[in-house]
Amino acid sequence: MPSRRRTLLKVIILGDSGVGKTSLMNQYVNKKFSNQYKATIGADFLTKEVQFEDRLFTLQIWDTAGQERFQSLGVAFYRGADCCVLVYDVNSMKSFENLNNWREEFLIQASPSDPENFPFVLIGNKVDVDDGNSRVVSEKKAKAWCASKGNIPYFETSAKVGTNVEEAFQCIAKDALKSGEEEELYLPDTIDVGTSNQQRSTGCEC
Amino acid sequence: MSMEATELQDLSDDADYAASQQQGSASMMRSDSGKRSLQSEHEDAVLIYLKDNVAIHPTQFASERISGRLKLTKQDSVLFLSWIPYKGQTSNAKLSEKDRSLYTITAVPFTEVRSIRRHTPALGWQYVIVVLSSGLAFPPLYFYNGGVREFLAMVKQHVFLARSSEDQNVFIVNDFQSPLQRTLSSLELPSSLPVASGQSVYPLDGGSSSENQRRTSSDVGNRVSSVSQSGFRKQKSHDPTRDLSIHLLEKFSLVTKFARDTTTQLFSENNGFGSIDKRWNNQPVHSYPEKLSNIAEEKHHEIRHSYSENDLLKDDEISYIDVPADPLEFDKLSLMWGKPRQPPMGHKERRNDISPSIKCRISTEYFTALLDSEGRVVESKALRERVFYGGIEHQLRREVWPFLLGYYAYDSTYAEREYLRSVKRMEYATLKQQWQSISPEQAKRFTKYRERKGLIDKDVVRTDRAFEYYEGDDNLHVNSMRDILLTYSFYNFDLGYCQGMSDYLSPILFVMEDESESFWCFVALMERLGPNFNRDQNGMHTQLFALSKLVELLDSPLHNYFKENDCLNYFFCFRWILIQFKREFEYEKTMQLWEVMWTHYLSEHFHLYVCVAVLKRCRSKIMGEQMDFDTLLKFINELSGHIDLDSTVRDAEALCIEAGENGAASIPPGTPPSLPLDDGTLYPQEDDVL
Ligand SMILES: Nc1nc2c(ncn2[C@@H]2O[C@H](COP(=O)(O)OP(=O)(O)OP(=O)(O)O)[C@@H](O)[C@H]2O)c(=O)[nH]1
Ligand SMILES: [Mg+2]
Repeated sequence: MPSRRRTLLKVIILGDSGVGKTSLMNQYVNKKFSNQYKATIGADFLTKEVQFEDRLFTLQIWDTAGQERFQSLGVAFYRGADCCVLVYDVNSMKSFENLNNWREEFLIQASPSDPENFPFVLIGNKVDVDDGNSRVVSEKKAKAWCASKGNIPYFETSAKVGTNVEEAFQCIAKDALKSGEEEELYLPDTIDVGTSNQQRSTGCEC
Repeated sequence: MSMEATELQDLSDDADYAASQQQGSASMMRSDSGKRSLQSEHEDAVLIYLKDNVAIHPTQFASERISGRLKLTKQDSVLFLSWIPYKGQTSNAKLSEKDRSLYTITAVPFTEVRSIRRHTPALGWQYVIVVLSSGLAFPPLYFYNGGVREFLAMVKQHVFLARSSEDQNVFIVNDFQSPLQRTLSSLELPSSLPVASGQSVYPLDGGSSSENQRRTSSDVGNRVSSVSQSGFRKQKSHDPTRDLSIHLLEKFSLVTKFARDTTTQLFSENNGFGSIDKRWNNQPVHSYPEKLSNIAEEKHHEIRHSYSENDLLKDDEISYIDVPADPLEFDKLSLMWGKPRQPPMGHKERRNDISPSIKCRISTEYFTALLDSEGRVVESKALRERVFYGGIEHQLRREVWPFLLGYYAYDSTYAEREYLRSVKRMEYATLKQQWQSISPEQAKRFTKYRERKGLIDKDVVRTDRAFEYYEGDDNLHVNSMRDILLTYSFYNFDLGYCQGMSDYLSPILFVMEDESESFWCFVALMERLGPNFNRDQNGMHTQLFALSKLVELLDSPLHNYFKENDCLNYFFCFRWILIQFKREFEYEKTMQLWEVMWTHYLSEHFHLYVCVAVLKRCRSKIMGEQMDFDTLLKFINELSGHIDLDSTVRDAEALCIEAGENGAASIPPGTPPSLPLDDGTLYPQEDDVL
């Protein structure tokens, strides 16, 4: 029973508007980049099968709108997340400074059972731009931030060229799986109550 | 809120207040004796806090308000919030009992409250907005005698309140009960038990079941919208569900007559949604958890997540789950009520043997015929009706849109409009100058400007670039779009720029082809839709709330399904509403839909009926496949590009007519795109955000 439930791993991608969340997700799942993605309105997700040892998992990757005023929607989407990916644009200081907000907002809205140890992964995107000449956030600075938040894994990517995207998501999937398994041990009873509620509501009582 | 509309009143003059005093608390309890209140008024419930003269404003007029009593009660260590409107003679004849009951808040446990936002302006009344974990929000509660601070202080003594780091006026409610405890305690509440859906399936089988139906709908009514029916038990005529079934009985006898005459015609016309072709008959339907549990079935999983074009909107009737019947017999209704569309206005004059420039002139001539000699639109209603039933030929849009949007007044003359255009052109230039004159040195010290510009720059290059008008590098129209949006963010600095605005502007610029004219049309549109983009998202919350009320009214089994599956926040319709289906249809169809909606011909909120129409078309798929929130969201997102416009508009029309006054009453006044409250400060904002 528990192993069945955990075949779905839920990952949330957060970060300022325009840092490349949609592009990263599409690069990872569909292996392509387009200049014509629209600004995300509301939320959407893509799924991808991943294999660990001899087990297959469905990675459900949620992409939400980056503009601050849509954040209140998060509550409906963040619940039950197994891992949260924070994205910033290495060419934008503001997008880096906002990481704290995104992280805190996520913890408040998703209210994970163990916030201290909830897995985050940081991605610095758009390293391809101008061959790195317009970069304003150094790798060192980003890594220092990661260290201060309990050693968050860090990747520098280009969603456009595809650099490091696969590697980053490998790590994301692994962390999600780990946290998912811990949660299983953590709250088995509540999950079962929820399931039986679900069954009761399928309309067979009439 | 304009202060002159109603002065702060001496309470003894307030009829509502006086009535409440006479009745005393005993009758307050009696009026409260519906099922839901059993828990709150149970002997164990302790009254923690009581505040009189807390009001909501159902319309934009400050004088029209519903006053009531706000209470905090506690039972079994759970804090409950209620707001009960005063009974008795209303101080304003326009307010019906229905309005009162629509807004009643009956004992909402704080475990379901996500946050409370307070507004304590220096001038005007204080109010709070209570947002539920489902994402829905109650209308603002105005504290006529002040006391928001004390209220929050009281709440804080009983639940954990944390001030949001983003906004110091938002207080997040954290409940420390474990989900298990919460589930168990909710089992004790009679109202939260799912009600046998069978009861609500057939509203038409005789008199006694309409009583049943009424009970059922009040029992399962979602708590946000929960209508305190108990206070009005005797006034059956106020029960929307009952009204509906009576209407239906009347209309069905019509349908059968009507149908006989028109069957042939109907089947040949109804080639969109209502297709009788059922190719999904042999497709087994699995429930979601099962499917995920079995990797061998991944193929089927794929099918669920990428519906093929033809199957998306089809009601496949075979499923392992009994889907409750549609109480409206929707198919028949829309056939009966939704009139067939006409060709677009100006189309008749179009001939294929003449050149495009002459065609254009002829279209214009057609429109000119609707004007008097000085250029006034003689009968604006006739114009709006014509557009509602068929849209506008493209060449004519530039003439007609400014009227529909409210930029031109219908009774303006040619000369007045000419004058308006030139004045507005200068005004636009001045506004544009405001940001164009910002030097690089100044920009360095102007973070807000830089960030706004950055956001707009990023968005215009992501807006409709596949559409030829905006195609290619260094496209001038993309630049115009950028300039207009940046100018707008100065014109309406408080609202600023928000994602989704470029989606609205794009067709307007394409139609108007002139920067200043496009800007002012956009301004007119934002007068109504600006609240969609407001920082507190209140405009969106009210619309989602209204949508949930409409679905409850027009398809209670579907409403119950959403309720049972935690989908009542309707966030899966967020994109539909935020940008009015812009991403759901191809470009030309979007323009058609917009002009139909902008006529406000049947309802200002026609877009909500469009939402209901699409949801109803998918109801048996949604319920039959037992979609959960995630699956539903994905399904709705993937409908994009697969919705047939004409039949949808026709369905929406039918629903709008069917819902009638009950429909209108389900939509709180002031819900966008109704014009917002006239209080001078449309978008009061904190200083710390973009
Ligand atoms: N050069 C470069 N451009 C990128 C990269 N990733 C994204 N972009 C571009 O940056 C812009 C924003 O990308 P999106 O993926 O739409 O950004 P987002 O984070 O999803 O934005 P929102 O949906 O508004 O929250 C687009 O114009 C992309 O083409 C990258 O790695 N390199
Ligand atoms: Mg995006």
